[in-house]
Parts: sequence; C-alpha cells; structure tokens
Amino acid sequence: MSGHGTPNRYRQQATHTIRDEPYVRESVLSGTDRANDHRNHAYAEIDADRWRDWGRDAKTHTLTNLDRYLEEAERNLEANGVRVHWAETAADALTVLRGIVREHDVRSVVKAKSMLTEELGVNEHLERLNVRVRETDLGEYIVQIMGEPPSHIVAPVMHLSLDDCRQIFQQVLGTPRHGTPEELVAAARKALRQEFLAADLGISGGNFLVAETGTVALIENEGNIRLSTSLPRVHVAFVGIEKLIPRFEDLAGFIQLTARAATGQPIGNYVSFIQGPKKDDEVDGPEEVHVVLVDNGRTTLLADEAAWEALRCVRCGACLNICPVYRQTGGHAYGWTYSGPIGAIIAPGILGLEEALPLPFASSLCGACADVCPVRIPIPELLLHWRERAVEEGLTPLTERVGLEAYTRAATHPLLFRAGGTLLRRTPWQLGGTALPILKGWTQERTTPEPSPKSFQALWKEGIE
Amino acid sequence: MSARERVLERVRSACQERERTEHPGAFESRDAGADPASRLTTLATMLEAAGAEVVRVDGMVEAGKWVRRFANDFESVSVGVTVPSQLRPTISTKGSHEAALGLSMARAAIAETGSLLMDARDGRRTQLLVPTHVVFVYQADVHPTFRGALSSVRADLPSAIGLHSGPSKSADIAQTLVTGVHGPGRLIVVLVA
Amino acid sequence: MRVSLFATCLGDQFYADACADAVRLLRHLGAEVDVPAGQTCCGQPAYNAGRRVDAQAMARHTSKVLDGSDYVVLPSGSCAGMIRCFYPELLVGDGARAHALAQRTFELSQFVVEVLGVQRLGDGLSGSTVGYHHSCHALRELGVREAPLELLAGCGAAVVDWPAAEECCGFGGLFSAKLPEVSAAMADRKLDTLPEVDFVTSTDGGCLMQLSGRAGKRGRGPVFRHLASALWQGVQGGVRA
Repeated sequence: MSGHGTPNRYRQQATHTIRDEPYVRESVLSGTDRANDHRNHAYAEIDADRWRDWGRDAKTHTLTNLDRYLEEAERNLEANGVRVHWAETAADALTVLRGIVREHDVRSVVKAKSMLTEELGVNEHLERLNVRVRETDLGEYIVQIMGEPPSHIVAPVMHLSLDDCRQIFQQVLGTPRHGTPEELVAAARKALRQEFLAADLGISGGNFLVAETGTVALIENEGNIRLSTSLPRVHVAFVGIEKLIPRFEDLAGFIQLTARAATGQPIGNYVSFIQGPKKDDEVDGPEEVHVVLVDNGRTTLLADEAAWEALRCVRCGACLNICPVYRQTGGHAYGWTYSGPIGAIIAPGILGLEEALPLPFASSLCGACADVCPVRIPIPELLLHWRERAVEEGLTPLTERVGLEAYTRAATHPLLFRAGGTLLRRTPWQLGGTALPILKGWTQERTTPEPSPKSFQALWKEGIE
Repeated sequence: MSARERVLERVRSACQERERTEHPGAFESRDAGADPASRLTTLATMLEAAGAEVVRVDGMVEAGKWVRRFANDFESVSVGVTVPSQLRPTISTKGSHEAALGLSMARAAIAETGSLLMDARDGRRTQLLVPTHVVFVYQADVHPTFRGALSSVRADLPSAIGLHSGPSKSADIAQTLVTGVHGPGRLIVVLVA
Repeated sequence: MRVSLFATCLGDQFYADACADAVRLLRHLGAEVDVPAGQTCCGQPAYNAGRRVDAQAMARHTSKVLDGSDYVVLPSGSCAGMIRCFYPELLVGDGARAHALAQRTFELSQFVVEVLGVQRLGDGLSGSTVGYHHSCHALRELGVREAPLELLAGCGAAVVDWPAAEECCGFGGLFSAKLPEVSAAMADRKLDTLPEVDFVTSTDGGCLMQLSGRAGKRGRGPVFRHLASALWQGVQGGVRA
C-alpha cells in the first residue's frame, strides 16, 4: 500500500498508484464525480457567490484579529470549565495528551474523525503509551485497520472499492465474503458500540471554535463524534488556532457553507456544540473537557505575506474533489496528511518548504479549485507563490534553472529565438528525448510533436493568401 | 516563555504587520418562511429529504395517544429527562444502551436546515444510543433560520447541544448510503401544535 | 480596424498553419492584420515555474513588441490570459503600459464574438460533430466559455456533450514533462470520456499537443484541429485537407 510516503516522493508515489493500483483511480474518479455533483446542486440552491464572499470576509476578519480572538476564546473556554492547553508543536500537543492519559489512567480511547490528530500523530503516540485507540468514523476505522492514513479530508476511504472493504471486514469482523454495505455497517456498529461504552477518553478535532462563547463545533453524519464527546468521562478536543470564528451566530453561516461544499448537504445530520463538562443539572456527559490549541506551523503561514490566506480553509475537501491532479491518484500519493490543492499550499508552512516539495508543483494551475472554494482561497496564486519561493531558495532542479534561463535569453532576443526555431526543424527531433529531461518526460507518455514545416513567422514573411 | 506566550507572540506580530479587517456582519440566508405554516412545511421537507420521518399532531393529548400507539411495537423505551409526563408511554423502561426506543424533547427546531436542537439537559445517551429515536418538538419552537435559533439559545447554553437533522448515516463504503451507523438508524420527528 | 496577431511560441513553431488561418479569418472579417516583428514568448513557462524575474524579462520584451497595436489577438487562451491577468502585476513600474495592453488583448474567439460582434461565419462545418476542449485559462482566466461554442455552432457544427469538456487536459506547460505520468492520466480521462466526433478542437495549441500526443501514444483517437483552422474552414465551406 502506498499510504506511508513523503511529499518528496510524490512523483514515484503517484506513478505507483496510476500504474499499479488502477482501481484506486477508478474509485477516486467516481467518488469525486459524485461529490462534485452534490456540491454543484447544493451551491445552486443558495446564493453561493454571496455566501462565499461572507465566508471569506468573516475568516479574513478573524485571522487579522486572531490575537484578540484567541485570548477571548481562552477566557470563555475557561469560564465554561474547560481546561485550555497551548501547543506550539506536535510534540507539545502529544505531551499534553500524555499528561491527561496519565492523570486519568486512560486505558482506551475512542477517536472521532480529525485531520489535525492525523497531522500530530496522536494514534501512534497513544499506541506507544500502551493505550488502546479506536477510530470510530467508519472510514477512519477501515484505514486504521489497514494501517493506512486517510486518503481524503472528508471521505477517508474514497480510494477503496466495496470489495476492498468486504475483505477487510471479513478478516476483522467475520462478515460474509459478499456482505452488503448494510451488513458491514451493522457489524461495525456492534463492535464499536462496545468501544464507546468502555472508553475512558474521547478525542475529537474541532471544525470551529467560537471566541465569544468558547464553543467547539463539530460536523458529521454518523453520530460517532457526538458519542465520542458524550460517553467517555474525559473529552479532549485538538483545535488548530486557525479554527477560530468570532461569534456564536457565525456558526450558522460556516456550518451550512462547509456542509454544502463538502458533501452537498444543507447541514451534517449531526452537529455538536461543545460548551464544557457535564453540568450539575445534567444526567450525562464528560466530567472533564480539555481543548488543546495547536499551532504546529500555522503561525509560520500566518506570518507569510501571501500564504496566510490558506488559513481560511474549513477542510471541506471541495478542492480535492474538483482537482484533476488529485482525481488521478487520490490522497496517498501526496505523502502527508493533507492532500490535493489545499495540502500543497499549507505543506510548506507546516512541514517546511524543502520537505513539502514538489507538492506546490503538482498542479497544472487549471484553477478549478478556486472556482469551488467556499472561503475563496486563491489556491493557484498560492501555488505560484510557493514555486517562486522555491526558486528564490534554490530548491528547484538545476536543469530547469539552466533551461529556463537559456530560454529567457532567447525569448528576449528575437534573432536567437528564430535560430532556435530553425534548430528545432533541423535537429533529428526524436534524439532530443535522450538529451533533454524535459523531452524525455514528454515522450515517455506521448508521441513527439512535429514542428510545422515552416514557422508561422516564415509563412507571414512569404505572404499569407 | 510558555508555549502559550510563544504562540500568541507570533500571532500578535503577524496581526500587527497586516491591516485588520472588519467583520462582514451577520450571516444572511434566505428566510425559510416568515409565517409559521410555511416554516413547518420547510422543516418537514428538509427532515424528510435527509431520511427522517415527520408526524404532525394537534396538541399534547393527541401526541400522547400517538406515542402510546407507536411505542406498542417496541419492547422497551428510554425517555429523556425533559419529556413531559403526558408523552411517556406505558411500556417498560430500560437504560439507553439497551432500550429499543428512545424519546426526547427538542429544545427548538430550525426550518432552514431541517434540524432539531437537542439540549444535553434532556440526556445525551437517549439521543444517541437507541436504534429508533422519537423527538418531540413544539411547533412554536420552530425557528425559520439557523441564525435565529442560535441567538435564541445563546444566553442559556448547556454543556452540549446536538443538532439532529436525520438518521445516523454514512456513505464511506463504496459511496453507498447506509443508515444507523452509530446513532439511531430511524429518526421520527413529532411536531406538536 | 488594425489587429496585431501574437502567434505565441507554440503557435509559431507547431501550429503555423492555424496561425495563418487566424490571419485569414481576421482579414475575412474586415480586420487589417499585422504580425509585430520580434515577437517570441509571453513568458508563461517561466512564470508558472516560479521564475518571476525571467517572466518579467519576457513580459517586458513582449509588451514592447506589442506597443502601438490597436488590438492584440492570440490563437491561445493561456497566453492571452497571461497578458491580461498577470502582466499588470508583473510589470511593476510600467503599470500603465501593462494595463493598456491587457485591455486590448483578446483570445481569438473572444475577439470575434465580443469585439467584432460576429457569431455566424459560414456553413463550412455543416454536418460535423465536434468535441470542444475548454482550455483552463481561456475558461477561468478570461471567462471564455460560450464564444468558441457559438462560433462552431455558427459554422453548422454540432458540438457534442463531453462530460470532461471543462476538465484540464494535463498539459500545464512544464507540468506535463515534470510529472508525465499524472499528466498522461489526466489526458486519458479526457480521451476516455470523449464521444464519437469528427474532430476535437480547442483554442490552445498546448492542450491540443498534449491530447493528440497522448492519443497517438495510445494508438487511437480522434483528429485534432486548432480552433482557428476549424473556424476558417467554417467560413470557407467545403472540406479542407
């Protein structure tokens, strides 16, 4: 399986998927086709342009005032009885978690779907602490069993077919070899119900954190997030610092916009607003709630003159679904938690630019992502921004640098450029494939283009009838 | 310096470098009907589209009759704390993780999104663990917009609110829609006049 | 009306006939066409590679070459998009010139429909079924969606419903050579969803080179023809080789 890659090996990983796992491409194409249909319908029902403007502006306002909103959120969380922790790095966040595990003698954990906890490596950390950790989102449960990371922000097993799932469930839960999706789900419900009832700790992420009320908001469809945050005696929510929104009422806009962009639903079938531990007049709920505010590279993005706009992201996955590059391989090829266009523009902030390459180059700059983003992140511009930074820092291949410098010299000297055109016609063109990497890349997958017998400028000089 | 101070310091310095922008103002969506009748129709349509069943009853007496009749097909029931006594069926009660049926009282509903606003004070386990979930909501508590519903509850928030807008579902496996994944597979909403 | 044709580097070297057909088409529609001497490349390959300084040099060169023209028309959506959308920001210090150039620069079909106000060219494509590939930059940077379709229909062609018509072909300039496997898979998706047609056309030579090159490697596929040539055929009537 191609799950544990690195961004640096993007080309090899993508090629592996395309050549050796053609069924992944098939599953992803059909899954994203469906998601795109749903989103298009959901956007058509509303004044999507105005909603998206609002989403952009509300997030931009939050980010440009993030200092005061973070402090306001912290005050209100604490007033609600929530214990607030700050994590500058992934290691900080895991240290906080270890403290909670030790304090409460935690043996088993149920986890609601959260990309941030993937980013931080929470599961691996808990396993090292000998804590049993169970993903409870159906898709996450499947990839956890397979030992793979999720391949999509919203739909973790978009890369798997029904038959893949049947095999896994047969091995683990003893379902019939040709079980229906209903039979597989019923078996998972039964197995995971026991886990929910027995767990000492529930871990979640957070879609939004409201500064004015200290509310952690979570969107889902299965009910596993509500269960993970309601049944165990302790709940820990890991929340990226960019998830802040100013007001309680703003949830109305963000939850609807996110649901429509992500799955085309008006709203997720379950939405949780977490205010804190169980109150005296309540019969159930966790006794203790912790919120871990995580930076882990987000302030690097925030400080960047251009890339800070990527922090508006609500993790709906719409840019993955529409991206023609993502659609050929699914998410594993990207080699880290966040794949697709959004992953490529936040990777340099979170991993460092060198570590993140070549993801900002893994795009044809077609611009389809910008058409669908619910908070109007200028993704193609930010891809270009990181490419420019890679050039400035000397991180691009030497052949590319030399080639483009030579090309620029020719293109700013018309005589030289024309001479190049003549050369193009005189050289045995096919030989170029072995000499120039750019031609080798081209001819590997396509026939060699034939130059016109005469250049257009030559035809023009001769006179066009 | 603590992690908190280091993170906040970097956020502050980034914010100082950049012009602070204004909040765009309240989120305005289409109004799901100013008049109560169309509000109810929208709520019912949205809930049904998401896979829930909707029943309308004319007052508490009728609601009580309906629930006793409905509950007869179930062995046991778990009932939310705030469900009025007239709406409690006579079948045996059980803990929420064993009961075949759950009854809850919604604090409010949202027509725009087809959602029931479930307050933790009614008991979370009954809202989540039963296979079939009946939720009562007073027709007078139906808000046309999501934003309106939020501002009506903002001053009095329990430890958790759940918005329930349909049965538990997933399309993770081969993009096939399946209900009853972790939460109730059947959601019946009783709109009480 | 004086129109300057900017052939683009790819057009000049690989789609010379299509550029000549663009000249014929514009003349037929009453324009006086010139081809400014010294024209080379708009700078997009460097710009998309993150080589801003190189792109600036090429943009400076091109904007000087195109000085003094009334209208600039390109048989390419991508290069027209480069001039219209990115020159003003690239040519800092020469903003007025860049803005003026951006304003008078058009992709061919856009120019014919929006500036010349022409939709019907002739009936030379009567009975043809055509697949139109929307190049990403014509579609998203220039907002050109209807113009080529109207012109093709206006020549009597039946433009088929192609589910992937608006999806990227996988060219993307250097992208196609740096990540050839992904790029080829993108082209395959286009080709696999293409209905039976007499030919496929697009306003961008790069896209056509990608799609025809991939179809050739697969050993099957339709005929590809640049939009300028298809439209000129539409004007002329009859079938040109």
